[in-house]
Amino acid sequence: MAARRALKAVLVDLSGTLHIEDAAVPGAQDALKRLRTAAVAIRFVTNTTKESKAELLERLRKMNFDVAEHEIFTSLTAARNLVQEKQVRPMLLIDDRALPDFQGIPVNDPNAVVIGLAPEHFNYQVLNQAFRLLLNGAPLIAIHKARYYKRKDGLALGPGPFITGLEYATDTKAIVVGKPEGKFFLEALRGIDCTPEEVIMIGDDCRDDVGGAQSIGMLGILVKTGKYRTADEEKINPAPYLTCESFPHAVDHILQHLL
Amino acid sequence: MAAAAAAATAAWAQRLAGVRGLLLDVSGVLYDGGDGGGTAIPGSVEAVARIKRSGLKLRFCTNESQKSRDKFVGLLQRLGFDISVNEVTSPAPAACQILKERGLRPYLLVHDDVLPEFDEMDTSNPNCVVIADSGDGFSYQNVNKAFRVLVSLENPVLISLGKGRYYKESDGLMLDVGPYMKALEYACDIQAEVVGKPAPAFFQAALKEMGVEAHETIMIGDDIVSDVGGAQRCGIRALQVRTGKFRPCDEHHPEVKADGYVNDLAEAVDLILQYANK
Repeated sequence: MAARRALKAVLVDLSGTLHIEDAAVPGAQDALKRLRTAAVAIRFVTNTTKESKAELLERLRKMNFDVAEHEIFTSLTAARNLVQEKQVRPMLLIDDRALPDFQGIPVNDPNAVVIGLAPEHFNYQVLNQAFRLLLNGAPLIAIHKARYYKRKDGLALGPGPFITGLEYATDTKAIVVGKPEGKFFLEALRGIDCTPEEVIMIGDDCRDDVGGAQSIGMLGILVKTGKYRTADEEKINPAPYLTCESFPHAVDHILQHLL
Repeated sequence: MAAAAAAATAAWAQRLAGVRGLLLDVSGVLYDGGDGGGTAIPGSVEAVARIKRSGLKLRFCTNESQKSRDKFVGLLQRLGFDISVNEVTSPAPAACQILKERGLRPYLLVHDDVLPEFDEMDTSNPNCVVIADSGDGFSYQNVNKAFRVLVSLENPVLISLGKGRYYKESDGLMLDVGPYMKALEYACDIQAEVVGKPAPAFFQAALKEMGVEAHETIMIGDDIVSDVGGAQRCGIRALQVRTGKFRPCDEHHPEVKADGYVNDLAEAVDLILQYANK
């Protein structure tokens, strides 16, 4: 039996949940509209290291999703917030496309390192520069630690290996800012008056979306789209609050049972 | 004051009693690398000469993997050191031995200057990766090639020549092979096999080549983990010099405590010659 609670906010993953590449999950636009008729705040949360908020927004609008820029919260934004919070000047080892999300951040005479997926920066001289900053006490802020990713020509190293190398060289630990970090989900809710117990997260990644959210007291719904593979819901303990076919089913469940 | 000096003397006498052989790290102890080959650390050329005159046994024990032994020894000779190739224990020949024994064909993620050490190896259709300090050769593309070789293997074998974190060149600290070894370990979820310091087999080979037992040997190095910790695990005493990559926090390392800390090789040799036979 589902615990009844006053739901105040819904967090929604993007890629794999609302859309797959440039195609919307069937019925997702209408489902989002239905969700908007309820008295809940909505935030879209995503781990991205390449796409700026503006790019994400444009893509969603092309697929006819009704989304506002302030509703999107990405791991790049989380990194930016952390940089501002710490009042540091980062060396940015991120893809050029992601730079707009760091506009206005001072980067001269750097005393921090922000690292995402940026193969073009992962050469010896640049990493050595980052290494020297870290040895001098600069914090290492990682967008995520993925081992590798798939490219057209085969598998390719992600940022994780290079972050691990820098951690080893300097005997430090990176601060990872994206999902499944609890802080990421809490920051996405900034400005919304609610506690984690009043929030539900919908995503296709059992560990990063559902596990991360549930670890800080939110409810998590796993959808069987995107990267979902059979039996993913058994990967975490406690299990997802709910596992369902797709985003529209998740919305219907919320509207019928949680409000 | 006199009492303190006497206590210090007694401490060194105890630490150095019975030393008959010296293992010397090279980079950061004899010289600092850099543009144009590098520069000798003051007093170290004379210190090596004094060891040789004293009759103590001596062996150079290095993880140098960016140059072949010939090139490396030639550089040191030009800096004024009395050193020959057959006095050097370095990881590339040890790695070749392993490759031969196990029938491994390496993909070489190594610096061009060290390639001659692997001349006899079959590098076609690789079934393992050998990684060494490659400097600028650690481009994304090259590291990614090594990664692709490893992920394509059923049982990935990664052999690393040392696992040092960093070393010192004249213009500052430089990433060594260790961080790149860790990167590939993390990417492929594997453990590298380390050839070179701090692997016990490497120290044991150096002892055998020198002909002195572990308990009669002292290691002198600038790396608190690889040189000092590695030697101590083999029952070899070890001093850390405050040159090369030395950082003051090394003297408070959470896991490794050297048998003594000295300003440089010259001071180490002063103390050893004064106390080793008392």
